[in-house]
Amino acid sequence: MKVVTGVVGNDIHVVANRLIELSLHARGFEVFNLGVNTYLEEFFDAVVETDADILLISSLNGEAEGWSREIKILKSKYKNLDNLVMVIGGNLVVGTASPETIVPKYKNYGFDLVFHQVDLNTGLDTLEEFLKERNK
Amino acid sequence: MSKEKLLIDVGSTYFKVSTSSSIKQHLRDFNKDIFDDLIYKCGEMIHNYPKDDVYICSSANGGLSTLIVGLTHSFSLKYAKNIAFNSGINIIETVVYQDIKDYSIPSDLIDVVIVVGGINSASNIFGDDLYSYLEKLNYSNIVFVGNKKDAPTIAKNIENLVVLPNIIDDKLHIVEENLKEYLTNLYQADIVGKEDIKHLYDITSNQIYSTPYIVNKTLPLIDARFSVVDPFILIDIGGATTDIHYSKDLVDNNIVTQNEYDRLVFKKLGVYKSKESLIFSAKNNEFVYELLTHLKVTENIFEEQSEKALKVLMQLAIFLVLCKMSHYKQAYINLKLLSVNSIVLTGGITKVLNKDEIEGIISFFYKKILSSDHNPTTIMDSNYDIWTMAITDKQSKG
Repeated sequence: MKVVTGVVGNDIHVVANRLIELSLHARGFEVFNLGVNTYLEEFFDAVVETDADILLISSLNGEAEGWSREIKILKSKYKNLDNLVMVIGGNLVVGTASPETIVPKYKNYGFDLVFHQVDLNTGLDTLEEFLKERNK
Repeated sequence: MSKEKLLIDVGSTYFKVSTSSSIKQHLRDFNKDIFDDLIYKCGEMIHNYPKDDVYICSSANGGLSTLIVGLTHSFSLKYAKNIAFNSGINIIETVVYQDIKDYSIPSDLIDVVIVVGGINSASNIFGDDLYSYLEKLNYSNIVFVGNKKDAPTIAKNIENLVVLPNIIDDKLHIVEENLKEYLTNLYQADIVGKEDIKHLYDITSNQIYSTPYIVNKTLPLIDARFSVVDPFILIDIGGATTDIHYSKDLVDNNIVTQNEYDRLVFKKLGVYKSKESLIFSAKNNEFVYELLTHLKVTENIFEEQSEKALKVLMQLAIFLVLCKMSHYKQAYINLKLLSVNSIVLTGGITKVLNKDEIEGIISFFYKKILSSDHNPTTIMDSNYDIWTMAITDKQSKG
């Protein structure tokens, strides 16, 4: 399966981004890594160009929230993204907040899976289970 | 041993003829065929040179036009636009494929349509919507530079489609060479295919090139003749077009390409053949009236046919082209003009304006538009060294 990934907004956490790419590769995904400082439109455009199944956005400095508010509006402008699996992970707030608060908020922004301060491998295990269930 | 060479540049307004001892320019007679006009004015000199020693370039056609159909703004359209611009092609329209039904059909004849989208492992991207749009479009050439899997189906449905390798690789990076070569050749073919230019092969046995292509090839050699401090821009203002060549360092862009310099051709920004559209652009620029006041003239100058009017048009062209490339006006390319150390002027402008007149305009631009006292060095290519260096270098390598 094809995954587009990258770090959203003005965030240069390149090490985490590279680890995500390597881990996805190791699990057999075809990865398109847009790197750091990526804008939302570039994520969706990359999905269209690659015909990707999954969009996995990461964020380490808490910028994701500001950007994620725009997701529904932006995604609605694309005509063929209904089956796209949307995933976000990393440190999703500035300051602290519990996953109980954060996860529903991001799901409401349009993400299928939300991993706030969750270990990378645990997150990817959950993604694989989600895909298995979805494809049954 | 270096042989004496005769260099001829056929512009939209002037011929330039250069020998080792002199450069002369002649206003073209538009009632005459280019060849006849050239022979009438310079026949005696031309006949002194064997065909092997005559080198010609031409910008008399003013460039080609393109319409690009692509999948997304961030990748396919962005890459195709970049390649088209750098090949000297004017972009008439870009169409996002998913919304293709919403676009109106341009009435002008399009020289080349570029269809692009998807990495090679993607498929079934283009379909009937593309074919019905193209049926209504009036174009001369069409090229597909998108995903490999769709190419055979598209080729079956579109007559005379040229298929080239995808300009997007599997890492979503740009691959520019194939399309660039195709467009450059098309531009070249357009020039030499013109009956007027074909006739010029009677006096040369060398390939006739397009002038912007030749000038662009000189830029890496420019240090040999001028004290240019990088990064620099080169502005070539002619009768029909204004070309701007710039170091890649001046662009905020994540497109990685092999060429050190890019160029843009502004088709409707010239002081002779495109005079009306230059004036139209000027009147739509909110700072132009202030500029005219600065030059101590009024807009009545646009109606005049005088040396003063030509000077003002040249000055306006400098100002407008800098505006088009600056952050003042969001365009395809915005250059970091505050980082420019040198501005090189070539073309007919160097025969009309002096250095002070040019520097006055550049400094007005920086103050008004960029609110800065930045003052790049102005370098005048008054002897057309850039053109002569390029054409002889190209030919000696060629």
